[in-house]
Amino acid sequence: MHSINRLYLPKLKLCHLKSRGFARACVILAAAVLCGCSHVDVHSDKVRGVAYVRVDDVIKHHPLYPQLEQLNNAIASINFEASLPHAPLTPAQIAAQTKDLNAQLQAAQSRANAVIASKQQTYGQQEHDAEVAAVKAAGIDPAAAGLGQAMNTTSQAQAQAAAAAAQQNYAEYQRGVIAQDNAAMQSIAQQLSKAADDKLRARAEQYQQNESDLSLKLAQEDSSQRMALRTQLSTLALTADQRKSVSDQLGALDKKEADQVNALRAADAQALLAYRKQLGEQTSAQIRAQQTSIQAQTGAKLSQRRDAVGAQLRGLGAAPVATASLPPDVRRRLGQIHQEYAAKFQADAQQAVEEYQATKSDLDAQFAALHGQGVTATGAAAKQLRDLQKRQNDLQMQIQNQIQREAVRLAKEMGFSVVFDNVQAAPGGYDLTNDLIHDIESQHE
Amino acid sequence: MKRRFLSTLALVLGLMAAIGPAAIAADLTDVGFIDQSALGNLPAFVSANQQLAAYKAQLNGQFAAAMRGARTDADKQRISLQFQQEFSDKQNELVGPLYQRTQLAIANVSTSKKLSVVVDKRIVIYGGQDITGDVINAVRGSQAMASPQASPAPSSIGFVDQSALANSTDVKNASDQLQKFQAAQQPIYAARYKNATNEVSKQQVMADYNKAIQDEQSKLLKPLVDQTKTATATVARSKNLLLVVDRADVVFGGTDITQDVQNALNK
Repeated sequence: MHSINRLYLPKLKLCHLKSRGFARACVILAAAVLCGCSHVDVHSDKVRGVAYVRVDDVIKHHPLYPQLEQLNNAIASINFEASLPHAPLTPAQIAAQTKDLNAQLQAAQSRANAVIASKQQTYGQQEHDAEVAAVKAAGIDPAAAGLGQAMNTTSQAQAQAAAAAAQQNYAEYQRGVIAQDNAAMQSIAQQLSKAADDKLRARAEQYQQNESDLSLKLAQEDSSQRMALRTQLSTLALTADQRKSVSDQLGALDKKEADQVNALRAADAQALLAYRKQLGEQTSAQIRAQQTSIQAQTGAKLSQRRDAVGAQLRGLGAAPVATASLPPDVRRRLGQIHQEYAAKFQADAQQAVEEYQATKSDLDAQFAALHGQGVTATGAAAKQLRDLQKRQNDLQMQIQNQIQREAVRLAKEMGFSVVFDNVQAAPGGYDLTNDLIHDIESQHE
Repeated sequence: MKRRFLSTLALVLGLMAAIGPAAIAADLTDVGFIDQSALGNLPAFVSANQQLAAYKAQLNGQFAAAMRGARTDADKQRISLQFQQEFSDKQNELVGPLYQRTQLAIANVSTSKKLSVVVDKRIVIYGGQDITGDVINAVRGSQAMASPQASPAPSSIGFVDQSALANSTDVKNASDQLQKFQAAQQPIYAARYKNATNEVSKQQVMADYNKAIQDEQSKLLKPLVDQTKTATATVARSKNLLLVVDRADVVFGGTDITQDVQNALNK
């Protein structure tokens, strides 16, 4: 009714005029309004209480849309920059940067594991203290209840969870390191093969140039003789024998040149073959050397990590369990305390794992980019991109929520039974888009 | 005076008849919706998806090793197909039974509520019947589920498979051309972008690049999109449908007009 009133009320004011003609007009108009005739007949055969909204179009009319567009442009700009071709790196640069990325990944994993272990320790102690307090409050000796210096089942569960997390981290680390090292080996092999191909191509071009030079030199050396012979051939007075003799000399001259060029070409082909073999052997040896080095590094990294995880797990010794027979209410309270601290630990551990995963994703993207596979932003640009995407999502959500609220309000006021978004075609129903745009715009005027 | 009153009354009635409702039609009430993300969060689905993700990680390693041993493009293609099939088989094994149970639950709940169409919650702004809770309860239940006795009633809401329409040769050709155009334009604008000395110039290059791509998109794809929209609207009108939505948004029921639209486009 909101929009109907807006449309008709100014017209109804005309009823104040006294003439009979106008009075009759007023009666007609009032009847029209009373019979529910607005710009849409919601319950007609064509509409049947159904409306739809082109939300994408409404968003473009929202007062916050320019800000959303700015964020979209900034995101597109970062993505565009990330997709631009970069100067190729040498195998040494790739190896150095790979090493750096691996160090960052290892640091992130150590950080996550340290956080988890520290939380496990802190919450285990806090829970233990809370349990001791609860048991004391019930008038029971904590030592008799099995709550001496040791931590209880929660600590045990947390230790198990931390151990499982550490094992999982190690497995992930192992997979990641092997995959990255394989990719690094592949990349280095490609670079070395390409360098060998370039050298071979340069040598082949040099040989071709030499052959062309020889051909030209011979042609120049024999040019006067050839010209003399051709001049003789063009003389009509030559006998057949003389003509044959001159032709033979010309042919011999061509053959002499061709033979020399062919001899050089054959020698070049042989030299090129030998050079190809030599390059192949050199490249294979270099690749093998790099592979051996990378495999050794992989082994060392995995071994170091395995030792670190082992040490961490040894530090998470299991604790004895409270065995005393406790009254049901105390056991219930201890259960609550256990749940409370287990939930806190899970939340913190989850956060640590999520932070690690975010770092790992970024490092993976940097690794892919390093090997010419990635087209996404990395490093500082990736962080900026994430921030922008979050702001864009938040703003988009804010705009959409307001549109949703207004659409619901309008739908109720106008009496629709259902309103859709994302409609492909609409031979029927009512398009609520313009009403919504008008509504959104008028609210911010 | 009496005659004047009667004539006015006749005029009013005439006007009411002229501008009143064209026909008395029942409002559409047989539309349901479901929150598919809530279904996806059921422990059974979460567990199945976790198992599938673990299997995929394992398969990825095997795939990479197999691809390294491939000598020809044909080998690579064969290996890709083989691994896709293995993944698909595992997906069917883990998620298939759950998916079937959910489909049956949706069908049963929809039939009991006399719904002719159930769509995804994302496309419903207002109204409709939310059957998410009923379906979740049915899926969680332990009893075996039978197929519903009756098919859904004919619906005034139609749907069209946009992905099937996008697979037409014309659309594919246009998309390929657009990709080629984009690939050709990128180095040109990349060079301009690199030479831009400040943020404003960079933004301008970006804007020019986006405009060039959008213009080409409008040139290549918009006529096809318009053609498809017209064909969809014509078919929908001929079948007395009120609205047509994308097949991806329909969970149950509805009137499928994809083939009719394809036929109309092929004429």
